[in-house]
Amino acid sequence: MSHFLLMMLYAFLVSLFFALLWRRGARPRLRLFLQLFLGMMLGGVLLAWLMYPFPAGPPAPIP
Amino acid sequence: MSERQTPEATPAAEASVDGKSTLSIVLLAWLLPGAGHFLLGRRGLAIAFLLIITCSLGMGLLLDGNLYRIVPNRPLTVLATLACMGLGAPYFVLRFLLDYQGDVVAAGYEYGTAFVLTAGLMNLLLILDTLDITTGKKE
Repeated sequence: MSHFLLMMLYAFLVSLFFALLWRRGARPRLRLFLQLFLGMMLGGVLLAWLMYPFPAGPPAPIP
Repeated sequence: MSERQTPEATPAAEASVDGKSTLSIVLLAWLLPGAGHFLLGRRGLAIAFLLIITCSLGMGLLLDGNLYRIVPNRPLTVLATLACMGLGAPYFVLRFLLDYQGDVVAAGYEYGTAFVLTAGLMNLLLILDTLDITTGKKE
């Protein structure tokens, strides 16, 4: 599974959870879900884009 | 954020909810994700929470994520173990009955660990939410 797909699934589950937990009613829930989901997705992509110029470096040692 | 409910405690609600004590509801909420909300009559929400947490845990296991246990001289593993134990019964089943540990060299290990930890933390938040409902701090 690709990194992007995993990030999307994670953002979906967390956004859905908090939308159901923190809001009542369909419209407020949908609004919060979209805010959280898009915030996480766009934030992740933006962070990845900012890190793009930096070299990956050696692989991390296995503990 | 302005739509958030204002907490107003109602002392009458503190003793019990339909004859069930707060402690037993909180305990069941910890043991099985969503059980607290189910007992409080929010069945649709309870099933949704159970599905979300099961899905998160399932993805974590599928990716061979770490089910934390305390490692001596590594204090952060205590916090991570507590977060995983927030899963309730599934944590103990996975750890003691199925002897699940995760696979540190698996490609999805780090992602899987994030999914497992998140599932545990989500259930801990559900326990707090159940407590707020039973004590009347939340509708």
